[in-house]
Amino acid sequence: MQKKLNEMAYDEEGVVVKIEEDLRQKIAGVGIRTGKKIKMITKEPLKGPVVVMVDEAKTSLGLSVADKIIMEV
Amino acid sequence: MRVLLMGHPNVGKSVFFNRLTGANVIESNYPGTTVDYTKGYMRQFGEDIEVIDVPGTFSLDPKDKAEEVAVKMLRDNKDAKIICVVDASKIERGLYLLLEIIEEGFPVVVALNMWDTAMDKNIQIDAPELEQILGVPVVPTVGISGEGISAVVSKLKDITPVDADAIVERMGGI
Repeated sequence: MQKKLNEMAYDEEGVVVKIEEDLRQKIAGVGIRTGKKIKMITKEPLKGPVVVMVDEAKTSLGLSVADKIIMEV
Repeated sequence: MRVLLMGHPNVGKSVFFNRLTGANVIESNYPGTTVDYTKGYMRQFGEDIEVIDVPGTFSLDPKDKAEEVAVKMLRDNKDAKIICVVDASKIERGLYLLLEIIEEGFPVVVALNMWDTAMDKNIQIDAPELEQILGVPVVPTVGISGEGISAVVSKLKDITPVDADAIVERMGGI
């Protein structure tokens, strides 16, 4: 099943299948690219950022970024 | 000679800086401890070498003030040599910035820092193979104990820029 990264549940794991074009370059530096395994750690309240695990490192992403990343879970 | 310490936030650049210069800048186990640059000197190869501790950045496409400082430091020091500090336990994400720096035409030594942590996590890295592919020196280091740091320094003397396209070729294309 495919869903947006910010729609993932706590502790849910998935693989990145699609990233919006203009965002691709921007998040490559934190190690997020298609084919990468990502685990949801926390979703902050009040439209705050999501914290995900990428390559054993916790990385926080703004909602506007997270909803442009499509995951296969 | 001028040397810039570059790398992601929280990979140990400031620990390296203190080791190299004998300075005592604040280190902590949090990303974003260094938001402005610090300058120091070390005596090596019979000359005083300026060492600059650059704030951590994920890429050369800055997203906040600290990253802007980092990118500006690099752009303003076209003749500098770079020690690229990479967290060995999170090596893949560090390679992106490293390749960007190589692509800009800077001579680079790679310090695979926190080598001990990577070993503890059972992450095996073939440093000689990586060195072969990148064409730049790759040295395993442990910042807090000082292991490998003198090896990094000794490599600084002879490094030259490498061709990024040749790296892609050695990888067998993108």
